[in-house]
Amino acid sequence: MPEITQLPESDVSKPLPDLDPKTMRKTQPGLKRLFLTFSVLFSFLLGFPFFWNSVEIYRSPLPFREIDSLSTHLRSDTLRFPLHFHALFIGFHSDPDRLRLSLLPQITKLTSQNPKCSYNFTLSVIVDSASACLRSPNTSPPSSLYQCGSITPALFDPKDDEAVDQKLESVFGAKKEYTVVVVKGENERAVVGKYRHAWMLVSAGDQVEMAAVKVAEVLVKVFVNGGREEGSIRNEFMPVGPDGRIVLSFNLLNADPRDWVFDWDFQKIDETLLAPMIEALNPVANITVESQVLYHTPKASFSHWNQKLGSHVFSTNDLPFFVNSNEWHLDTSIAAGGRSKILQFVVYVPSAKECPLLLQLPNGEISKTNGFISPMWGGVIVWNPQSCLKDSESNPVDRRMIPLQDLEEMFEVFIGQFRQLFGFKSINVYTGASGVWNLLPSERGFTEWELDVLSRQHTCFNLHSCATTLGSLSRLVQSLPRMIIKDEIGKQVKFSLEAARLAQSNASNGVYESSAASSRQARSLAEDAFFHPSIMSVSYYSFEHCFAVYSPFFLPVAMHVVLAALRELRRYKKEKAKYLAWKAKAN
Amino acid sequence: MGFLQRPFVVLLLILTYQLLQCLVAFGSVNEGDQKQEQFSEELLLKPLPDRKVLAHFHFQSSAPPSAANGRHHHLFPKAISQLIQKFQVKEMELSFTHGRWNYESWGGFDPIASSNAKPPGVELWAVFDVAQDQIDASWKNLTHALSGLFCASINFLESTTTYSSPEWSFPPASGNLRYGTLPREAVCTENLTPWLKLLPCRDKAGLSVLLDRPSIYRGYYHSQRLHLTARGSGSKEMDSGIVLDQTLTVVLQPNSRRAGMVHASENHIQPSWSLSSMFGKQVIGKCILAKSSNVYLQLDSSLVSPTNSITSENFWTNPSFELSANPDSLLIEENSLHSKGLSVLYKFQVENYSESEPFDLGFTWKNPVIWSCQQAPLHASRFLMGSGNERGAIAIFLKSKQLNEGFIGFNADNERCELRVDVFQVVPWYVKVYFHSLQVFVDQQPKAVSDVIEKIRVSPSKDKVSPGMMEIVLKLPCRVKSAALTIDFDKGFLHIDEYPPDANQGFDIPSAIISFPDFHASMDFPEDDSMNKSSLLSKFKEKSPVMSYTEVLLVPLTTPDFSMPYNVITITCTVFALYFGSLLNVLRRRVAEEERFLKEKAANKTGGLSMMLSKLSAKLRGRPWEPPQSVQHLSSFINSKLVFKVILVAGLAVGWQYFFS
Repeated sequence: MPEITQLPESDVSKPLPDLDPKTMRKTQPGLKRLFLTFSVLFSFLLGFPFFWNSVEIYRSPLPFREIDSLSTHLRSDTLRFPLHFHALFIGFHSDPDRLRLSLLPQITKLTSQNPKCSYNFTLSVIVDSASACLRSPNTSPPSSLYQCGSITPALFDPKDDEAVDQKLESVFGAKKEYTVVVVKGENERAVVGKYRHAWMLVSAGDQVEMAAVKVAEVLVKVFVNGGREEGSIRNEFMPVGPDGRIVLSFNLLNADPRDWVFDWDFQKIDETLLAPMIEALNPVANITVESQVLYHTPKASFSHWNQKLGSHVFSTNDLPFFVNSNEWHLDTSIAAGGRSKILQFVVYVPSAKECPLLLQLPNGEISKTNGFISPMWGGVIVWNPQSCLKDSESNPVDRRMIPLQDLEEMFEVFIGQFRQLFGFKSINVYTGASGVWNLLPSERGFTEWELDVLSRQHTCFNLHSCATTLGSLSRLVQSLPRMIIKDEIGKQVKFSLEAARLAQSNASNGVYESSAASSRQARSLAEDAFFHPSIMSVSYYSFEHCFAVYSPFFLPVAMHVVLAALRELRRYKKEKAKYLAWKAKAN
Repeated sequence: MGFLQRPFVVLLLILTYQLLQCLVAFGSVNEGDQKQEQFSEELLLKPLPDRKVLAHFHFQSSAPPSAANGRHHHLFPKAISQLIQKFQVKEMELSFTHGRWNYESWGGFDPIASSNAKPPGVELWAVFDVAQDQIDASWKNLTHALSGLFCASINFLESTTTYSSPEWSFPPASGNLRYGTLPREAVCTENLTPWLKLLPCRDKAGLSVLLDRPSIYRGYYHSQRLHLTARGSGSKEMDSGIVLDQTLTVVLQPNSRRAGMVHASENHIQPSWSLSSMFGKQVIGKCILAKSSNVYLQLDSSLVSPTNSITSENFWTNPSFELSANPDSLLIEENSLHSKGLSVLYKFQVENYSESEPFDLGFTWKNPVIWSCQQAPLHASRFLMGSGNERGAIAIFLKSKQLNEGFIGFNADNERCELRVDVFQVVPWYVKVYFHSLQVFVDQQPKAVSDVIEKIRVSPSKDKVSPGMMEIVLKLPCRVKSAALTIDFDKGFLHIDEYPPDANQGFDIPSAIISFPDFHASMDFPEDDSMNKSSLLSKFKEKSPVMSYTEVLLVPLTTPDFSMPYNVITITCTVFALYFGSLLNVLRRRVAEEERFLKEKAANKTGGLSMMLSKLSAKLRGRPWEPPQSVQHLSSFINSKLVFKVILVAGLAVGWQYFFS
């Protein structure tokens, strides 16, 4: 090949009178070598995408845009829970439209305080006097199924709240509406029932407007916000694990078993007291209960002897040092899954030398429950044996049982503590700006309207948490372009988004239980994706590594190919110029 | 008088009524006692022939069958119960061992040696109560849970290359068994603390107070074991009782300095010891929650037999030693088949001691005594043969002890007297064993494999999937002096990722298990008190085959230079690049044209070097040198070009740095 191409040039080299071989040539310069080097260069350039694809690691495509849209959707306040309020005035002679118009702005003012989740409420007012039945808004199928006259003022017996509550439930229970009944009566009284109803007896002389203020308050502060103070325990402290489970771990701690050993009949308590509560909370969290008895578990800080009270006193300032994490082996449960929330409830039986042990409040009073809670951790109760004397005759090996009555009291306190961990009040009175309401306690620990509050709050919290987790995941994935992302993660993200969408639509339709359940699923799937083991391990393959492996081949080869192409091109241009010069001269 | 008497009578009535109530209450407690969770603690001390002392702690917790197991517990550790519930474990044993049990001098026949002597590192086996196809998944989850519970890397047993499923050579054998060991796992306090957490009194009271970390880890042998059995009472798994045995076996060297000072002249006398000198602690009282809390001192049969005069009256006055505390009772072993002598247990009840009068058992030797422990029928050892990094052979060597003649001889009169030996051996996949190369030598004579081996089950290893496993039943003649099994292997190559960080140390082949199913390691100490059965002594009574573990073998494999892959990549790529570059050059170059160019260049210009050369040659020839024309401006041009190139490269480098920082 080279010889053949060389031939014309040898002709050129022959001395011709009018040809300067340095500046001119007679023949066209050959294209063969140029074509060769460029074809090599182009095949390299064409091959590069294939090569890049082959070293590319597998990344399951994540729906980044949908994740973003979910979080903007939630941020832009479009998650609205529908609420149906119902106010019934019995024995009044006012205009329902006027009452409704005076109630609406107050309710709007009060509901607008919650920043994260907003509500979409409807209000219907009925004034039921013996003579007339007036409704507002007056739609053709009445918005409430209430038959005028089915509730009479005589029903409201101030001594039997339970019966009133049951009666109201039988009248209004069919629909999930929040009802406030205002009745004229002799002595003033305001009660919130176990279901979704409240009633109020006002003395005859009072203005309707005063009652309306109170009605607005109970509707918003109690039924919507759960009667909690603003900012007491915030939404972030929802004691539910990312997988929607709670393990209640009950521990009986015998500080010094050499003095006495107490045991409890936990199973009975579990069946009678805890089981109804767990069933009630089922839409919010899947709760399991465990118990154990531990021994040789002193508390971490000292108490001091108070002569006046005749007991050892532990002040509130020292409470952070009460829990002795070195000696209290309140193990995490093996039965629980990886990301369940474990709430520890501890009964502390003090040793003989610190026996009646009381907790002192900052104002100097003695705590009535003799217990305290620690948010997101659990609660502690100090239980003192009846007589603190250590009778030397009885063998301490004989395990004494904690009397059932004490145990029941103890668990009532625990249920109160559990309510507090969820942000509810442990007392049965709600004191608002306009008056005091009695709250009827439920034997299940949580009343219907409290469960509604929990479901709403839980849905809201879960959806926000899911959006945050998915947002972090998408940011992480985008910031590490060479991280391997398995298909499983993509699937989890997809399902999580689907569940979140379902929860949103359920929430806006007012189906609280199922929206809570699917929001729980959305959050747990999002957490699963974020904490997937393949992400946790440092399994990404860095660019530096790739460069170090491939550069010893590609750098020298690329240099050869590019330089050869450049040289050929340069030479071709030069020769072409020569040829053109000759041609010009020849012509 | 009458009205005085009446209140008295009423009072009496009240009293009796209350008493009756009390009695009724007590009765019900007693009735319920059978169905309560129980805990007992025991310690066995035993002087060993080589101037050491064995201390064996045994803690037993049991939970009755109850629906609340795994959820509500009073004494039994909740974590263990949940483990059983969650993974459907029927029986499980986990041991952490440091050091090797010296079968020759510490005995190989008694229950402690055969069931508490464990291979170094971690050994775990478990029997599951699930369907065959779910066993592996359960095992994996179990290893992870245990690894979290005991702060150890038991989770390495998760990989299929580390565990096997013996069928019949491992004593509790059944189809659902999984067995795995980690010979290199280091054992320390972080494994002991979670183990102690399972005891109701932890190390706060009772016998476990003695577990002073520096003292027990200073010992020659240290084995911490956890054995649990779930006994199903019915068809439902939920209602099964659980028995958890936790044992800690340590072999300590008593501090002999004090004894040496007393008996300066008698160096051969055994060192005297006491609990406080060995552990640095004393027992203040029993763990309140324990049903029984006893300390036993065991004296070997051969140690007692010279002083045959033991009777119940003078059992603590012994000519050869002295005890600092009076034992509460004496138990003599009963009716063992290998009746050479009967070993003796001194029993001390800890509940008789208190804070003012702590229990500190002292043992002082008065006369030098030499004795030996009972040996297993054959002493097993294992070693490697061959050299180099390519192949080798494993040899298991069984040697009979002269001492054993006595109890092997009891059926020597039979013509067809045979000794059955079970061998269980697991080899990792990178040690590629050739099972056809199995050779058997009896009394140093090669024997046909079929003559000696009665039964063999082999599961060959699969690369990176499963280890090789070998189960053999040998039938040896009773009079055998020695027997050896050899098997050849090739050393495999591992992938670069599979080498551990310390690859040059070598790789471990786990211990082989040699068991003698014809012999049972059991000791029967009849107790007078039938109400409170000691859990330790009932464990001793159990008929378990005599078992011994061989040494762990260390196989050096060829380890690569770990920077090699990159070197290989670099050199291969360079060769390719060179080849490619030269090929391209050949295709592209015009040889004739270039030659012409060179000639022209040589004709009209010379470089700096050629100029200097011509100058030099001119000088040498003695002729005046003529400088070539028009060189100056060209060389300066070359220089500027060079400078430009250097600057370009530097700029590229700076840009690169800037881009990547």
